[in-house]
Amino acid sequence: MYKLKVGKFGDFNVIINKYFVFSLVVIAYAFSIVHSANLFAQTQSHELGHERPAVPPVTSPESEGGKKVSQFKFKPLNFVPPKVDRIVMENGMILYLLEDHNLPIFNMVARMRTGAIYEPPEKAGLANLTGYVMRSGGTPSMQADKMNEELEFMAASVETSIDRESGNATLSVLKKDIGKGLKIFADVLMHPAFPEDKIQMRKDEVVEIIRRENDNPSQIANREFRKIIYDSKHPYSRRVEGSLGSIEKITREDMIAFHKKYFHPNNIILGISGDFNKEEIIKKLNEVFAGWKKEDIQFPEVPKVERHFERSVYNIYKDINQANVMMGHLGIHRRSPDYFPVTIMNFILGGGSFNARILSRIRSDEGLAYSAFSAFQTSQDLGMFFVSCQTKLESTNRAISIALEELDKMRNTPVGDEELAQAKETFMNQFIFKFVTSANIVGQKVEIEYEGLPLNYLETYLDNVKAITRDDIQRVAKKYLHPDEIKILVVGDKERFDKPLNNFGKVNLIELK
Amino acid sequence: MRKKALASIFSVIMLVMLFTTRGIYAESLKLDVKEHVFKNGLKLLMFEKHDVPIVCVRINYKVGSVDERPGITGVSHLFEHMMFKGTKIFGTKDFAAEKPLLDKEDDLVIRISAERNKDIPDTKKIASLEKELEEVRRKLRDSVVKDEVFALYFRHGAAGLNAATSSDGTYYFCNLPANKLELWAFIESDRMKNLVLREFYSERDVVMEERRLRTENSPFGLLMEQLNAVSFIAHPYRWPTIGWRSDVQNITKAETAEYIKKYYAPNNAVIVMVGDFNPDTAIKLVEQYFSNIPSQPAPPRVKTVEPEQRGERRTEVEFESNPYIAISYHIPQIGHPDLYALDVLASLLSDGRTSRLYKSLVENKRIAVMAHAFNQISKYPDSFVLLAAPRAPHTVEEIESALYEEIEKLKNAPPSDWELQKIKNQLEAEFIRGLNSASGLANEIGEFEVLADWRYINTFMDKLSQVTAEDVMRVAKKYLVKRNRTVATLIKKEHGKAEETKETHKAGLPMTID
Repeated sequence: MYKLKVGKFGDFNVIINKYFVFSLVVIAYAFSIVHSANLFAQTQSHELGHERPAVPPVTSPESEGGKKVSQFKFKPLNFVPPKVDRIVMENGMILYLLEDHNLPIFNMVARMRTGAIYEPPEKAGLANLTGYVMRSGGTPSMQADKMNEELEFMAASVETSIDRESGNATLSVLKKDIGKGLKIFADVLMHPAFPEDKIQMRKDEVVEIIRRENDNPSQIANREFRKIIYDSKHPYSRRVEGSLGSIEKITREDMIAFHKKYFHPNNIILGISGDFNKEEIIKKLNEVFAGWKKEDIQFPEVPKVERHFERSVYNIYKDINQANVMMGHLGIHRRSPDYFPVTIMNFILGGGSFNARILSRIRSDEGLAYSAFSAFQTSQDLGMFFVSCQTKLESTNRAISIALEELDKMRNTPVGDEELAQAKETFMNQFIFKFVTSANIVGQKVEIEYEGLPLNYLETYLDNVKAITRDDIQRVAKKYLHPDEIKILVVGDKERFDKPLNNFGKVNLIELK
Repeated sequence: MRKKALASIFSVIMLVMLFTTRGIYAESLKLDVKEHVFKNGLKLLMFEKHDVPIVCVRINYKVGSVDERPGITGVSHLFEHMMFKGTKIFGTKDFAAEKPLLDKEDDLVIRISAERNKDIPDTKKIASLEKELEEVRRKLRDSVVKDEVFALYFRHGAAGLNAATSSDGTYYFCNLPANKLELWAFIESDRMKNLVLREFYSERDVVMEERRLRTENSPFGLLMEQLNAVSFIAHPYRWPTIGWRSDVQNITKAETAEYIKKYYAPNNAVIVMVGDFNPDTAIKLVEQYFSNIPSQPAPPRVKTVEPEQRGERRTEVEFESNPYIAISYHIPQIGHPDLYALDVLASLLSDGRTSRLYKSLVENKRIAVMAHAFNQISKYPDSFVLLAAPRAPHTVEEIESALYEEIEKLKNAPPSDWELQKIKNQLEAEFIRGLNSASGLANEIGEFEVLADWRYINTFMDKLSQVTAEDVMRVAKKYLVKRNRTVATLIKKEHGKAEETKETHKAGLPMTID
């Protein structure tokens, strides 16, 4: 959040410790997982219902300050979100456009349906590598060095990536350079060169990144937890970076073929925002993408995630003085009809930072952890539900027990009216922050369509939140939380835990390689 | 890094220039921040931005770990956490009933600690006191309204709620729907005048967990902590903002309270508002809520000056991790003319794929997977840092000489016009983009006010555009020299287990440091 002393250097997140120590930032991260999809919600026409809490206060506040605040009268917040245009081009490309002439800047974001889920297991890492070298390797008409120089001299950027379930490309450029920026952007999408030297360079970097994963306890936990949750045959169980063995098997021809298969205009949703003129930009897009034709894409079949729940316990020894705990099981996919109640339920359980029960007990009551949260990570098929927490070795079992108790309680006891009102009002009143920049807004539109959500997702967002009842919360808690069949993974020396880890079940040991 | 902020501000001025032709901004090439100082010394900085009905508010205090002393290192950061624990009217059902219990809790903690410190502690007595303490804490828990400040903000739609502590300042972040500004004024003024150190002892444990997470089990965290501790032998920048382990575990409530009184006064604070509000209304609102908070004597500046370094220092950190290297060079404080050239130098070295370290170490020699330089501009003289990660089987030794090679090149040949122009172009663009974010602007204005004066940003463009290729060579020769540097390497630990010191509440009892 604070950019001055915290930086992302390539593949490495660096915090210069001497300087900035945040009190809440890790929790904010937790929250963002749940919201990563949620953030992409907006309304086109509704005035935001801000004048008074949408749900009337249920009980009187307990503190003197709270009572005073409840007497405050706030004016309504008048804001009509700008209208975003949706256009389908002749070549099948879908455009979302939002003109914003406040600043001389221009941004594009593109989403392509592709991803690591479509790569063969023996070539794991192919999608990710392709997404990276598309940009880093330049094009036949503009070599990588030249492209870097052109872009950086005009303070612009073109970046590409392919993740687990989507491809992404961005362009950021000043208004005066829109023409040049668009040309490079289109060239990279259509004609990546994939030169051998850049491929080898990236492969070597990925190998080093994988080698270094074990340096960091939370990276170990995240990687291994995925393997525990998903069947080893399912692509969700793999790293998108690939493995030391698979990386070397990937050839230039594989990458060319992978690119050729998925990069077609009819497979792209493009969000455009900033200081441009709609007619002009469409003309320019037609120019830079001229000759790029629609093509049918045969998407490989991805096996369905098998619904399977079973308690199991895992331990990975690492010489550290704080245990890293991940516990959870299969969750929901993004288009689940229960998405909204699940989101609110999780907010109360462990997603809502200091308002959440898990953090309140583990951190605030007992001082056992700095970060403790729960999240439903959503994907096209069933995502993961998990609780994450780091605590000193000597309180590991205690922290796990508290989390399990909270899952039980959420299933078995209805939430209070007040607690539910707090959660719903938070979501409804924070709604305005989804509209802070035009780039934000079109980004959300692109995301909504890519995820296959109803295109009126935004218009119905507030109503969807408003409609949630205590019964909904308990219903989804019973349906989606399974503490008895939860998988528990702990990185750390189990000999030093407060109680034997096998109190939770037979412990399977995982060796770090 | 800090440079980036400066960079951004450099271009705001360009932007204002662009806007003058469009008639949005009145005149001049300056960032138009409105300033108001209240009678008690509290400063309000305002920047209007009406495109979306939100207001990004910051309260920054000009106090950070640099103002601490051994024994209470980390107290600024601990206090930052305490600010979320409530006041006499927030976070408690009844402060009058809670107060005696809090006093009792403190008394018991002190007595337990005193007993433990005896040559022959009376374990029975300790046990009985602990039982009593547990009972008091149970009652206290009943009187607390959990995390109420946070809950109220959330419920009213506040976002980006956070706080941060640096060596030079403490920062409280809050982005609000524009109609909720009065809620903010009410809560924040109460936090400034009526803070209660509630749940103090458990929060100290939380900070210890934060320390384990960020420093003790993080290769970067550990390396940077050691680097600073060796780079600085006298100045308080040598200790980590989060504090040394033994201090975090033992800071007392009395020490914290004394520190608060001295530094967390209106005359040592600045409020920044950026967004959709009316300045006259804002001034009235702040007047209404904050003006009755008394000012305190001006807090002292740090007197200790870091002595000139007289030779290279080296340190090694063993950890269960692949290797890293960090190198620091002493540089002057904010306001010193050489910092502008050092900014350009850092950018030349490591901003982007065309930067020198990336091209040389990562792309051509292929010995590193990451190599970065940053120029740390702080209130007192700080350091210019290089940070790199070798690609196996290459070693930190190879990286180290490659870094020096790049630095020597800068001493012997001027950077090209293309490089300098690229950097200037990027600085401009970065700020134009930065203006899109009310939140980012609020951070920057507040940050510079803490370091020196927000007006610093209005001189930055001129200063930076005056930097020549010769200046870059000159500062490289002046600062990036062997006798002025400290080299810290992180190397893989072979055997053995990390030792954790005993982890119970032992307030007041000195503990061993591992």
